[in-house]
Amino acid sequence: MLPGRLGVPLSQENKLWLSWHDSTWIPILNPTNIMDYFSQKSNIFYDRTCNNENVRMQRLGLDQLTNMTGIEYILLHVAEPILYVIRKQHRHSPTEVTPLADYYIIAGVVYQAPDLANVFNSRILSAVTHLQSAFEEASSYSRYHPNKGYSWDFSANKALSDKSKAASKKDASSNKEEPGSLFQRQRVDMLLGELLRKFPPPMPPQFQQQQQPQQAGAAGAQNQTGTSNQVKTEPQSQDQQNSTIKQEPIDNPSSNNPAPAETSPAPVMDIKTEPSEMKPPPEKKMKI
Amino acid sequence: MESKLTRYEKIDFLGEGQFATVYKARDTVTDKIVAVKKIKIGSREEAQDGINRTALREIKLLHELQHENVIGLLDVFGHKSNVSLVFDFMDTDLEIIIKDPKIVLTPANIKAYMLMTLQGLEYLHLNWILHRDLKPNNLLVNFQGVLKIGDFGLAKFFGSPNRIYTHQVVTRWYRSPELLFGARQYGTGVDIWAVGCILAELLLRVAFLPGESDLDQLTKIFQALGTPTEETWPGLKSLPDYMQFKVFPGTPLQHIFTAAPDDLIQLAEKLLAIYPLNRCSCTEALNMPYFSNKPAPTVGSKLPMPTSLVQKVQEEKPSLKRKLLESMEGATLPKKLLF
Repeated sequence: MLPGRLGVPLSQENKLWLSWHDSTWIPILNPTNIMDYFSQKSNIFYDRTCNNENVRMQRLGLDQLTNMTGIEYILLHVAEPILYVIRKQHRHSPTEVTPLADYYIIAGVVYQAPDLANVFNSRILSAVTHLQSAFEEASSYSRYHPNKGYSWDFSANKALSDKSKAASKKDASSNKEEPGSLFQRQRVDMLLGELLRKFPPPMPPQFQQQQQPQQAGAAGAQNQTGTSNQVKTEPQSQDQQNSTIKQEPIDNPSSNNPAPAETSPAPVMDIKTEPSEMKPPPEKKMKI
Repeated sequence: MESKLTRYEKIDFLGEGQFATVYKARDTVTDKIVAVKKIKIGSREEAQDGINRTALREIKLLHELQHENVIGLLDVFGHKSNVSLVFDFMDTDLEIIIKDPKIVLTPANIKAYMLMTLQGLEYLHLNWILHRDLKPNNLLVNFQGVLKIGDFGLAKFFGSPNRIYTHQVVTRWYRSPELLFGARQYGTGVDIWAVGCILAELLLRVAFLPGESDLDQLTKIFQALGTPTEETWPGLKSLPDYMQFKVFPGTPLQHIFTAAPDDLIQLAEKLLAIYPLNRCSCTEALNMPYFSNKPAPTVGSKLPMPTSLVQKVQEEKPSLKRKLLESMEGATLPKKLLF
């Protein structure tokens, strides 16, 4: 709206990632001065060409606001002593307004409330990121040997970086030449079959999850524990994602960045400590 | 002459000044409302050319001017030793609008007023005329929202209550620093400075630099804009009335005009440049981004009118004394510069 008003670096940043506060005001905030606080020149969320500022500059009464058209800010909600919600809206007439954005002030710190699309984008992105990092982590522990097939190895690689892990995997697979047992060969077939079912044409995840335990059960008792655990971890991690989604607005309303960082260890940790030994590393199979 | 005497029907008395009396009248030929300024005879010496010389100058000047945003001199007629000037009738002026607390001046309104003022002033400057007495109540506005520069030259005010104090201070408040320092040679910058002060007043709704004396005026200017030095104003110390002032750093205009967008701040900085040669011309001002950026200036019919005026019109009482006076009154002062 106002190119040039903000410095270039600031305007390029996403307002949703920012917060603003003036510590000298925080102790004295109350419903009567909260709008003045919000109208501070340094407040990045305050458009100083708004009607409020025009009325203020012209030393007119705030009651004139309803007769004006354009951008204005109103105090939408007060939950004393710490929460205030301020709305930015476009006024078309004394009775008609279009909300543009909401800002909330918690304990004196001003945040812009994200719109639904941004919430979804952020949450989906963080969920996918966590899933991806979980898969990467899991695949770094998988080993392949022509004789033994795929197996998990949690002991040796913990200290290795991802790159060296990938390299060491290849070495391991090429150097060892023990004949695979019957079980291992069956296991490979089973894994490949499962992979086909698991990453075929796009299917609703719920449907997938329902099918997998049954198929794993058919493949063998031992496998069943492994695959079913694996299946559980997925919903488990999703559950955790859901719960963090709920919590984020409370814990980390200001920015979506910190929240994923905090929640990400949980699903990863679960996979690391997963007791099952026969989980298929999905990404690697994809390549096969 | 006889026909002209009867052409204009007096409707109302609007005011009286040192050099003239102003009436509201109806033109019976066109049925338009006009303002008739009847020039007083003046002393024998003043009238040695047959007519008050300053009035003659104004007639000569205005007669050649024709612009949408400059008050129009419609007719001149004499009767015995009197001369009367017939002007466009204007309903109100910018001072009344600025002082009406019920009016909100939106950014678009302000842009419209600035645009009309600068266009009228550009026309004057292009015709080598300095107005030299620009102030809000010399910017006349009619009911169609058209602003016209009036009161050419001199204008001493009379009549309405607010003139009592304005006539002492108003001129000073809009005086440029070089005039206050006694400069004898100056140019269009003095009008530009006044336009800058008017812009500030439109934004703030109070006089921007209300000095109580010429010295106080300079102090207020420097407090707001910073004290000039020989470096920022070459030749400053050789001005006739130069004196050393306390050094003020000045205040960024963004902090004064808190709701003004950047393009408007940019314009204000050029209009209110302390060093006269840094001030822009009307043409330069009109070419600045402010006038081409959003929001577009308000169309005339949507510009606000003073509530008192609106009420009067609704009551169909045509006793609008205000504006006429201004356009008419100052018939005599020789403030125009003709080059």
